[in-house]
Amino acid sequence: MIEARDVSVAIGGKRIVANVDFDAPPGEIAAIVGPNGSGKTTFLRALSGDLAYSGEVAINGRNLSAMKPVEAATVRAVLPQATTLSFPFTVREIVRLGLVGGRCGALPGEDQCLPERALARVDLDGFAGRFYQELSGGEQQRVQLARVLCQVWAPVLDGKPRYLFLDEPVSSLDIKHQLIIMDIARDFARRGGGVVAILHDLNLTAMYADRIFVMHRGRLAATGSPQQVLSDELIEEVFDCRLKVGVLPAANMPFILPQSAA
Amino acid sequence: MADHSIAGATGIMAMAGDRSRRARLVIVLLCVGLVIAVLLSLTSGASDASAIGVMHNWLFGALPGDAALSARDRLIIHDIRLPRIILGVLIGASLAVSGAVMQGLFRNPLADPGLIGVSAGSSLGAVAVIVLGSTMLAPLTSALGTTALPLAAFCGGLATTLLLYRVATRQGRTSVATMLLAGIALAALAMALTGILIFMADDRQLRDLTFWQLGSLSGATWQKIGSVGPVIVLALAAMPFLARGLNALALGEATAGHLGIPVQRLKYTAIIGVSAAVGASVAVSGGIGFVGIVVPHLLRLLIGPDNRYLLPASALLGAALLLLADAVARTIVAPAELPIGIVTAVAGAPFFLWILLRKRGVIDL
Repeated sequence: MIEARDVSVAIGGKRIVANVDFDAPPGEIAAIVGPNGSGKTTFLRALSGDLAYSGEVAINGRNLSAMKPVEAATVRAVLPQATTLSFPFTVREIVRLGLVGGRCGALPGEDQCLPERALARVDLDGFAGRFYQELSGGEQQRVQLARVLCQVWAPVLDGKPRYLFLDEPVSSLDIKHQLIIMDIARDFARRGGGVVAILHDLNLTAMYADRIFVMHRGRLAATGSPQQVLSDELIEEVFDCRLKVGVLPAANMPFILPQSAA
Repeated sequence: MADHSIAGATGIMAMAGDRSRRARLVIVLLCVGLVIAVLLSLTSGASDASAIGVMHNWLFGALPGDAALSARDRLIIHDIRLPRIILGVLIGASLAVSGAVMQGLFRNPLADPGLIGVSAGSSLGAVAVIVLGSTMLAPLTSALGTTALPLAAFCGGLATTLLLYRVATRQGRTSVATMLLAGIALAALAMALTGILIFMADDRQLRDLTFWQLGSLSGATWQKIGSVGPVIVLALAAMPFLARGLNALALGEATAGHLGIPVQRLKYTAIIGVSAAVGASVAVSGGIGFVGIVVPHLLRLLIGPDNRYLLPASALLGAALLLLADAVARTIVAPAELPIGIVTAVAGAPFFLWILLRKRGVIDL
């Protein structure tokens, strides 16, 4: 269980996140949505321990600010938005970095081939020998996800759930890989872990999220299941855009929803 | 795809993208190379003293027909060449490893203690002791003895590195442009202060300073090895413990932290280690440039950027290359000798330009 109580974050004297209460139980995908600049990433960075915050954050009942880096690394892995490198690492070397700190939770003997298995899961079979810097943005994003998966390979370790923090995990991916990545997140949750994801695609959010946190100007504007949260009024208020939920476009206009995936 | 993949250099079963086997092989070859470089250095020089004769003498007694080794040869080998070789190995290793660690710390292949002002800061500390050692800093030098010089060089290097890191890093991101420019500014400041000290120096000190600044191993004595050797060995011994953290740091400070690396501690250990190693090196041999940038770069092409292998390989190659450079410096204008700093700069500066040309458009300033 991840519990955040009354979390506020100020950067350079400016309050970016204000009084956010947040719960992400294991077994669920908690999606954070909101317009650009609403404080989503800042909140996730506070949750990851990168930024100083006021309020309380606890992971599995332990206070985050009292955890050492290696202890935090054992219970959660963080996927940043984009990662650039200045040295010519191979894909395999990058994915292996997921095993550098904590305990991945793989069975004995399994960890040698873990990079290959993680790469296969993100549909990058055969990419281990490629240079990271030569890959496309979407491929790099999936390599980083493979690294993150290695770090918390077992969703439950010592009887305690572990968590994936994903900052826009599908933003640079094509539709097939968006679905693959979201399926990985759902599978991680089904097997007892927890997922916290910042998402922009409201259709994907409605399809995969168990609960949604809507952020607006640094504050929590709404919380609840997709059915409770995604309403015409909320979208107009938060995204400043007059949209209707569940309205089909005109008959001759093609539209493709992720929900239609077979 | 095949032309992009790297298979391990040895073994059929090597996993794609895993260069650890190749790296180990390269390290073994570098060990052999270093031994060869040491033997070459023992036998080469202005004098024809034969190291083989000396070694045979140590191990098995005098060679048949060569009744006894001349006292002169023994003196040349024991008291001139051997300390010089040991010092060369220590300094070459220390400069190359410091370069590699600094590049990992700044996440940039162009970071180098000489280039970004750390060496200039160390020089300032050292020059201060040389010039003011008998006057203003007399209490310090009399209290610390021979360690005063390396200690002052260490403090100068440490102050520069800390200042540089503060200036160039904002919110965990190190701006390379800021780093290089701040390095130039700090180096200029350190050199200006050094200039004031040189202005104050007397004729004898002046001559010492000039040769020292050009960089040379010619002053090598067992006593100098005794005063800086432990510092360098200690700093070098600490570096391998940073390797995993530096690898994670390649992904950025925040991500390294998420992976469980205590980033703050890593950074300060690296800065102190580099300052100690560079400070000690500069204190005895002056400014020997480009070893720290050329050696790690060559090795990254060969074995990749994994610091677990890059750091030991850099130590070995740095030591071997500096011995070779010193052999050139000793023999090319024999019986006089060229400052080794000139040799490394003549070879290293064009190499550095070549890196820039190759990476044009890739290095993000």
